Amino acid sequence: MAEVSAHPSTGVPTATPPVIVGRSDVYRRRMARLGWMFTAPALFFIGAVTLFPIGFAVLLSFENVNVTGAGFQLNGLTTANYSLVLGNSEWHYALVFTIGFTVVTVLVELILGTMIALLLERLTKARGMMMAILLIPWSLVTVISAQLWYYIYNPTYGVLDSILSFLGLGNPVILGSNASAIMAMMAADIWKTTPFVAIIVLAGLVMLSTDIYEAAEVDGATGWETFWKITFPLLRPTIGLAVLFRVLQAFGLFDLPYVLTQGGPGYATTSLAILAEKAMFNDNQFGPGVAVATTTALLVVLGCFAFLKVFRAQVGEEV
Amino acid sequence: MRTRKRSGWRRYINLVTVGVTLVLIAVLLPLYWLVSSSFKGPAGIFSANFFPKALTLNNYSQALNGTANPFGRYILNSVIVALSTTALVLFLATLAGYALGRLPMRGKLPILMALLMISVFPAIAVIAPLFLLMRSINWLNSYQALIVPYTAFNLPFAIWIMRNYMLGIPKEMEETARIDGAGPMRTVFSIIVPQVKPGLFTAGIFCFSACWTEFLMAISFNSETNYRTIPVGIANFGAQYVTPFGIIFAAATMASVPIAILVLVFRRSVVSGLTAGAVKG
Repeated sequence: MAEVSAHPSTGVPTATPPVIVGRSDVYRRRMARLGWMFTAPALFFIGAVTLFPIGFAVLLSFENVNVTGAGFQLNGLTTANYSLVLGNSEWHYALVFTIGFTVVTVLVELILGTMIALLLERLTKARGMMMAILLIPWSLVTVISAQLWYYIYNPTYGVLDSILSFLGLGNPVILGSNASAIMAMMAADIWKTTPFVAIIVLAGLVMLSTDIYEAAEVDGATGWETFWKITFPLLRPTIGLAVLFRVLQAFGLFDLPYVLTQGGPGYATTSLAILAEKAMFNDNQFGPGVAVATTTALLVVLGCFAFLKVFRAQVGEEV
Repeated sequence: MRTRKRSGWRRYINLVTVGVTLVLIAVLLPLYWLVSSSFKGPAGIFSANFFPKALTLNNYSQALNGTANPFGRYILNSVIVALSTTALVLFLATLAGYALGRLPMRGKLPILMALLMISVFPAIAVIAPLFLLMRSINWLNSYQALIVPYTAFNLPFAIWIMRNYMLGIPKEMEETARIDGAGPMRTVFSIIVPQVKPGLFTAGIFCFSACWTEFLMAISFNSETNYRTIPVGIANFGAQYVTPFGIIFAAATMASVPIAILVLVFRRSVVSGLTAGAVKG
């Protein structure tokens, strides 16, 4: 019989029906071994490119590292990189800026995205098409959207400049002053990622049962009450997940300021990732740059844990 | 309580249609600006005209035939990197997802949780060590300099997706395969894979678009013209004094249309992936 030749190692007599062979301990152990063989290549890849370099980065951040054109030397352990970073006003600013940018953009995206989702939920025919349109900004390369907004904000021939002067608001150099550059960058980010939030929230909304709304209507609840007492609590897991991933992405902010402002004016839009990249590759400050990158990663991990604790009841179940 | 039926076009005016129209304008207007500017000549690009007058394809030919910035080459590089990565990720994630979803291994949960933690790790944290490692083995400015890290960074999400789809297959499928004498590899690829095609589409499209858009690693590892991918090329298009916006937008349109079509065609897979959770916008 075929199953015997396929499983010589089980050593089970030929007469045993195959289903019982499948339940035997020997077979289970063989399958577990197969499982590790199947998982090993993926885990090796991930370990080699993430876990090992992260360890190496932590080591580098405590090293007096010297990078030259030919290679690099490690000149002994030091905490100088961290004292350079932690006592540095540029790092303080980048930290506050990155957190502020993350909080403001994610909050606005969440409010706008939820509003759009509630709106689209009312649609019957065109909902699929609207979702497709919302996916376009999501699929756009961030660098491309950054160049687009750079063009729109251009002080001499940008379309926003024409609109502002048409409205009698003068000709401000949008990317030239700190406050307006920060707001302009937030607007570009909000334009690109609000659709992402809207789609996630909409998908959550569509899955909610309609019975509960009928009950609320019978009880005479207003639309506002229905939203806060029924829709929002039920949507919390969905919204929590959207927020988690938006926060993590916003915290790594790099592509947008790289093209739009190069971190400027001054260092008004220098995020932690921009600061780290500049230090490592432009200013020949490899050690401090790695220290910035490592502290950023540490903050992300800590934030992630805090977040998971808050949403554990909901998110924890989903994962 | 009945509202009076409004006649003619007026009955289409309500809060929903007005809101939807506003959303459409907000989303599409900047995109229109991107595409229309790619057809503007030098005169049109330096004035904020809503309806460009003299349309030209000049920007497109300049983007493709440029010598300092050979955009055709960048597209080719992006295609090579994104396709190789996606193939590798799907192969490895199918095996790992099958094992983590269906085989009686111990320690599955810790592995899955660790994958989740790794998938949120910011790329900036590994740039420096990877840069030094790649330089010492002469990998900077090569395809593998991007394919290998992209594979590692996209695997956790792909494994999660595949594992979730694997859970939904009836147990009898494998038992039948086993009775027929199929080996483990054949069981996975001829019995299991056809059952999880939607999962493969979802994981594949997310992996492909992540490779297509990634910028930080691409600019750190492959800065040489011959190995630049699309985002690096577009970010570096700026000349010394004047940014050639027309050419940039022609290049941007060529880079965006294929991925937009891909996303629209597979939009069900994309939405199911977005709602499956672990997605980094």
